[in-house]
Amino acid sequence: MTVTDGARMAPVTPELLAERAEVRRDTLFGVEDLRVSYAGVPALEGVSLDIYRNGVTAFIGPSGCGKSTFIRCFNRMNDLIPSALVEGRISYHGVDLYGPDVDPVEVRKRIGMVFQKPNPFPKSIFDNIAFGPRVLRIDGAVDERVEQALRRAALWDEVKDRLKESALSLSGGQQQRLCIARCLAVEPDVILMDEPASALDPISTTAIEDLMHELKESYTIVIVTHNMQQAARVADMTAFFSVKVSDDGKRRTGILVEYDETPTIFTKPADQRTEDYVTGRFG
Amino acid sequence: MRLTLQEDLDQLEAALQEEGELVLRSLRGALNALVDGDTELADEVIAFDDEVDARYYAIEEGIQSLLARQTPVAADLRLVLAILHDNLHLERMADYCVTIAKLTKLVEGIAQDATLLEGFEEMGRRLEEMIRVALDSFATRNLEQAESLVHLDDLVDRANRRVVGHVLGLGGDPERREWGLRMIIVSRCLERIGDHAVDIGEQTAYLVTGEFREFTDASHPGGPPGTAPREL
Repeated sequence: MTVTDGARMAPVTPELLAERAEVRRDTLFGVEDLRVSYAGVPALEGVSLDIYRNGVTAFIGPSGCGKSTFIRCFNRMNDLIPSALVEGRISYHGVDLYGPDVDPVEVRKRIGMVFQKPNPFPKSIFDNIAFGPRVLRIDGAVDERVEQALRRAALWDEVKDRLKESALSLSGGQQQRLCIARCLAVEPDVILMDEPASALDPISTTAIEDLMHELKESYTIVIVTHNMQQAARVADMTAFFSVKVSDDGKRRTGILVEYDETPTIFTKPADQRTEDYVTGRFG
Repeated sequence: MRLTLQEDLDQLEAALQEEGELVLRSLRGALNALVDGDTELADEVIAFDDEVDARYYAIEEGIQSLLARQTPVAADLRLVLAILHDNLHLERMADYCVTIAKLTKLVEGIAQDATLLEGFEEMGRRLEEMIRVALDSFATRNLEQAESLVHLDDLVDRANRRVVGHVLGLGGDPERREWGLRMIIVSRCLERIGDHAVDIGEQTAYLVTGEFREFTDASHPGGPPGTAPREL
């Protein structure tokens, strides 16, 4: 063969490169001009972005930038705080998540959440996983469902011989994966993770990050993290939030500064504030 | 503010500029040795390459350590990547100077052609300017200055083509022919040094804009709009 052998050496055109680079994205959540306030004081305002299916989206930013407040809006966890008020719109599969006919319990079943500190129930490993399906009266064999959830959370091999033991006997990293398994057992569509690895050692952190990589094939994952390198490693899209301080210095409100593909955020962010934060020159 | 990272970046940049100064000395030495037929100086140029190599390795190791320990991102990451490339470009330039010095020794005692040597002197002056422009525009993050390297390189390319034409006219004397052939390689080395200077300019553009693009594309000499062809 020679290099002029037409068919094998098709010219690389800009169109071809663009086609190869194109990523198909389906919007799962659409956020429009969101504002969240606690007792009338805005914690976060003016946030608009789309969250895409089967990807990992990370929220990063300094303390007090509203990223945890924001992630809690996606499964209406802020409803549980009496003084909290959510304004603007979040659509999920095109449906207004805060619409009058929407049942928050159904929302939380479809949109599961994992918290910073592992919070297993003081029950057996098995019962922790079986709890959700039982409460929600999900049909099917419980044993199979428990095994499947533990396998998906990459915990099965470590606990299969001790399912009757207390979940509290597990290590921190195992407990966190148990919480992820508990979340998966009710067959959610989305998993929200608020600092899921910040209380874990590096090995457990790697296990959680690997797990996110596996899970995004079947689920949509949204994660809040203080660890920028974690966002750089796991996320497909990254949103950077910051704090806007009022002129009199009394009010601090979270704002969305920049939202883009993760490599862009970490190689050539468009906003100087993002650049300053990711390079560690913040403040 | 990450002080250690900033210090490490500053040190790497300073080391790169120093390496550039060594390359300029190497180039000047190689040209003087060639024009004066000074084989002693040619030997010095060959030995001097160890200095450039030492700087090259030090920068490589510095980058390796910085990447492992500091995980730079954004403009910091682009700077580290640009230094990584520029380091190699400078080291290659010095290697071409060594080749010129070795060729100088090979043609010892053979009658030289004054016109051609003048041509090399001119190419050398242009290359010195190009290396300075490449280093300065990198240091000052000056995109326009970096892009000007393409035009400076055109002049070197033209001079290279003239050398080939001149050698073809040297006639049939075997000794002259041998000299001419070796001088074509010298000319080629000088021309490549110019290309590496342009490549450094491209790294400056990447550092400034975040987009990597070749100023000129050798496989598409007509090039996309706004680019000038670059001789391979």
